[in-house]
Amino acid sequence: MVPDIETFMKFAFHQTKLALDSLEVPVGCVIVGEGNNIVASGRNRTTESRNATRHAEMKGIDVLLDLWRETGFSKTQVAEKFSNCILYVTCKPCIMCVAALSMLSIKQVYYGRANDKFGGCGSILSLHFGDHSKRGFKCQEGIIVSEAVSLLRAFYEQGNPNAHRSHRPPSQLV
Amino acid sequence: MNNSSEGINKVVVASAAEEEQQCRIIYIPDKPPVPPHLQPTVNVHAAVIEPKHANTLVRKLNQIAPLEKLRHVKRVRKKSQDGGKNELSVILCLASESDSELDGAPNDVLELVKQYQLSTFVAKVCRYAASTKEEWDEQCKFWPTSYHPPTYNISGITGFSKEDTKSVFGFMKYAVDLARSCSNLVVNAAVIVDPSTKQVISSACDQDLSRTGCKFKTNMETNCFKHEPFTPTSTSESENHQTLFASHVSNLKGLHICVSCLHPWGWTEQQLPESSISWHPLRHAAMVAIEHSAARDRLLYPDSGHSGAEMIEEGYLVPSSTGLPSKRQKINFTQDGNDENLDWKTNALQSDSAKPYLCTGYDIYLVWEPCTMCAMALVHQRVKRIFYALPNPNAGALGSVHRLQGERSLNHHYAVFRVLLPEEMVKDETLVSIISNNYQIKT
Repeated sequence: MVPDIETFMKFAFHQTKLALDSLEVPVGCVIVGEGNNIVASGRNRTTESRNATRHAEMKGIDVLLDLWRETGFSKTQVAEKFSNCILYVTCKPCIMCVAALSMLSIKQVYYGRANDKFGGCGSILSLHFGDHSKRGFKCQEGIIVSEAVSLLRAFYEQGNPNAHRSHRPPSQLV
Repeated sequence: MNNSSEGINKVVVASAAEEEQQCRIIYIPDKPPVPPHLQPTVNVHAAVIEPKHANTLVRKLNQIAPLEKLRHVKRVRKKSQDGGKNELSVILCLASESDSELDGAPNDVLELVKQYQLSTFVAKVCRYAASTKEEWDEQCKFWPTSYHPPTYNISGITGFSKEDTKSVFGFMKYAVDLARSCSNLVVNAAVIVDPSTKQVISSACDQDLSRTGCKFKTNMETNCFKHEPFTPTSTSESENHQTLFASHVSNLKGLHICVSCLHPWGWTEQQLPESSISWHPLRHAAMVAIEHSAARDRLLYPDSGHSGAEMIEEGYLVPSSTGLPSKRQKINFTQDGNDENLDWKTNALQSDSAKPYLCTGYDIYLVWEPCTMCAMALVHQRVKRIFYALPNPNAGALGSVHRLQGERSLNHHYAVFRVLLPEEMVKDETLVSIISNNYQIKT
């Protein structure tokens, strides 16, 4: 049986739960390569790394690059392999990740719905369609929406204890 | 001999003096610059009114036809007439661009017009709030508006003091020297600075080709522990920089230009001048500098059982498999690990004041304008100000191709500045050719 979109998205959600357990913003992803195999996974690590660019997608990309470089693939081969990959991510990728995915010429992206509270997460520049259409990739949103939103909501209600005071809800500043 | 060496000295002194004159920092605003007299306008219906009716009419109009998207426009215009009398006009509502008739106006507005027997006319008002005094002066020729200089309080937007200018220029030179120090490549360089202490927090070059390119402060220790405040202001140092700088530029010929942000999609075509096994297409200078500053943060303010060495080796932390969430919170916020009885909230107050939150309050100096990925990464990392020396016509996200600083929907905003290098450098034919020829705009 060929795994479908929903199955891969469930694997991405598994990463989300791992992130939540580590008090990270719950975002997870998997990258599926040729032959419908999951070749990499990633989850948000911004809190533990204190590096706000360590999004799930960036981790997934790093895992793949390390793997392929160690295998001894050339840059051209790596680019070719990326162009056959599909990313499944639980939250709409931010501008940084969309730009990175575009540089790597990824084939397609499936994502859960954007969440208003996830500030900065929205491809407002339409990088994947607009003026860089040559480097664009297909994007489809709205996969397993309810689960994505409720997990994020759970996280923000509990509050991000590692956020700076000015970024915390007032209830936590007692 | 004496004469000629004196001559050289004079040249150096002269160029240092010139440099001070030529050093300019330009604020790159949130929206594309428009000549003040060409600002976009919209049509509104207006009417001359009796001064005694002004209060009542304005109150009613604000209720029935509020100017939601024109908050900068004043509702009432006062024109002095001959003989010292004032003529008052009021904006009734928005008008369509084509139709000058009042038919499309809300019924309540039409009723007011009838009740007060107003004779209406169409006026033009400026669509956007003025961002400079010059724009404001032009706007008021159409219809008066209000002018508020930028509300977010980032120093430099309204100008730099002489001392701050020197400091900014010094750090930019530091970045340029760093960019030129990477063997025979010309790469982008990033320097993250705490402007309150004038301390370099971290620095990095592009590492998309190789992680071992730079000779200049490559190892993590120097990146993390530059506790000595960097003082770019002394005259002798400034002269040294100038000389170094000029020789660097004249040496640019025959070099490989490998600035990641200029050519983000070209990583597969980039010919490696030396064999390298650790290339990574996303390791642009700004991304690596952010990574180094995060590593410094973890090292100086550790919050878990990991040792600094482990962290550096890993690049980023492996999640702690032990410890429940509640336990971790305590570890995070208790300065003394034995003090587990203390309320973590109280401790959070103390540790927060010393511990940096990402790059809040920091500046970053980049030789080239960053691409979209790097510009958004700097939003995520909460950088306060970005200074770049050279625009990036291929992929620049801070004014050249995109203007990320103008995206109001983002959750953080930084101020962007361009630092103009001394004229003799920009005029250098090699540097010009790098900018114009080697990186033609690719569509």
